[in-house]
Amino acid sequence: MNSKLKNEKLIINRNKIKENLFKSIVYAFSVVSSCIIVLVFVYILIESKLFFETVSIKEIFFETVWAPMADNPKYSMVPMILGTLYISFLSVIISVPIGIGCALFLSFSMKKKYSQIILSFIDILAGVPSVIFGFLGLVILVKFLEKNLNLATGESVLAGGILLAIMLLPYIVTGCYESFEKSKTKYFHASYSLGVSRWYTIRKIIIPSCIKSIFVDSMLAFSRGVGETMAVMMVIGNSPILPKLLKRAQTIPSLIALEMGTAEYKSVHYSSLYAAGFILITIVMTIQIIANKINHNNKNKVS
Amino acid sequence: MNKKIVILSMMVFLLFLTVGCGDDNKPIDNNLTNNQKQEDAINNEKLEKDNENSQKSDEFIAQIMFNGSSTLAPVIASISTNFIEEFVTWDKVDSSFPNKDIAVYVSAGGSGQGVKSVIDKTSDFGMTARSIKDSEKEKMPNLQEFVIGIDALTLSVNPDNPILNIKDNLTTDEIIKIFSGEYAKWSDVDSTLPSTEIIVVTRDIGGGAHEVFQSKIMGDVQVKSDAIQAPSMGALVTKVIENENAIGYASFGIVNQNIGKITPLKVNGVDPTKENIVSGEYIIQRPLIAIINDELTKQQKYFVDYLMSDDGLAVVESMGFIPYK
Repeated sequence: MNSKLKNEKLIINRNKIKENLFKSIVYAFSVVSSCIIVLVFVYILIESKLFFETVSIKEIFFETVWAPMADNPKYSMVPMILGTLYISFLSVIISVPIGIGCALFLSFSMKKKYSQIILSFIDILAGVPSVIFGFLGLVILVKFLEKNLNLATGESVLAGGILLAIMLLPYIVTGCYESFEKSKTKYFHASYSLGVSRWYTIRKIIIPSCIKSIFVDSMLAFSRGVGETMAVMMVIGNSPILPKLLKRAQTIPSLIALEMGTAEYKSVHYSSLYAAGFILITIVMTIQIIANKINHNNKNKVS
Repeated sequence: MNKKIVILSMMVFLLFLTVGCGDDNKPIDNNLTNNQKQEDAINNEKLEKDNENSQKSDEFIAQIMFNGSSTLAPVIASISTNFIEEFVTWDKVDSSFPNKDIAVYVSAGGSGQGVKSVIDKTSDFGMTARSIKDSEKEKMPNLQEFVIGIDALTLSVNPDNPILNIKDNLTTDEIIKIFSGEYAKWSDVDSTLPSTEIIVVTRDIGGGAHEVFQSKIMGDVQVKSDAIQAPSMGALVTKVIENENAIGYASFGIVNQNIGKITPLKVNGVDPTKENIVSGEYIIQRPLIAIINDELTKQQKYFVDYLMSDDGLAVVESMGFIPYK
């Protein structure tokens, strides 16, 4: 009797140890992964320290000339920051209406079986490597703009925006589709049984009830667009000037990708590229935090 | 207990961090040997020994290190791959050498870094895509230079560009005006040309190709900021091939691979031909140099000889540069 008890205790003890071990391993992993983001942040800050020490904030944010190799070097990030925001904003403006339309169609006008198939195709679109998009953009889109808009050269903010819109579409479609489906189970049948027509329900109930999550989706898509490098770099011409719709521009990621390889190690130029990365991270993080906040409030309200 | 684990894992991570920092200056090794990890260990040991006392090491050194210009790096890497595949171990190169695997490490970090690594002795050879400055020569008393090839840039336009109907030559002055934006339209160059915008295509402004163009042509004048910056020489040439208003500096090798699709112009009346480039008459060019600040060891001598051999020069040529001899 006694020994049995002891045995049981041992087993319980052993289980406890196992459980604790597992718990601590999982714990360690989560600490490590959250450490990484902090470390990336710290490393970028350390590397960009030299830049922020030598170049005045006024020059970085209130002038418009980027000429790191000139005799009298100028390091203004304004063209790149504006270019990045412009292109991402444009792409979201283009892709959100298309994405909502696509998601509405898939959710309300199609049998679930087929819409699942189409959704999986759209998901594949998200997996296409960005350099392939960039190449198609360079060969097809840039040429198309050149011919049809009578531009001297097709590399432009517009080309970048359209290309990025195509790349962001899957995220918006799947995001909207999910929230439409949720809203559908909630309101659609009630509305139907009251004899309200389908499109009226969609217009007056479904879309307004999803507007916040659509907004969050487009913000997340925006932050993805901000960080997109390769595809955008290939179609915007990379000229560090203030962006105009049909003129060339440069984004922060393309600036870093283009100049990091040749910047002299540990020079101000080198450090300035880290600083550009720091600004980029700050932009993306701000957007993500705001999106998270809105999303959180939204969820609280619904439940 | 949990707290302890958290602290422990943090410490482990910090350890990683410090290791990471220490590796900062380590060149990216070109994986050229089968047992690279082993070589790496040997390499590190050797490095430490070298740093402690460079004269003392009579031991046979099986590896050669290159650091510097990203233009020259692929050439050296490719030649060294051939060298290693041909000989595998040092005793096959010369029977007096021990049976050790040949290892050549090539890392790219720009011409400036190449010179610096030779001065700091972190690398055997430096690679530069420009001539050595006098201030740098002072720091390297035993400097030896091996010119491996010449990289020339040609001012190229689309074959359909109407300028070709009028002339096939640009003067330095005209080039400066085109690239600085003073001539915004082709009609500014010559009034009979159509008034379409000149699309200037450059490589990234910080890069080696642009440095040559800047120093040989532009001088103090900056290239206009709305020029297209192509991320690679291939992209630059593609742009010129596809856009008839475009002008850019394409490297000599790529132009030769795209004869008919892209047309090089004369500069100051000099045709960009091999003869004119080698003779120095054609000005937009730069030498590709390997430098060392020491007497060559026997092994290094064999490798340099191989670099300058016909096999080596064939590689130089196949990569679009002009072999120098």
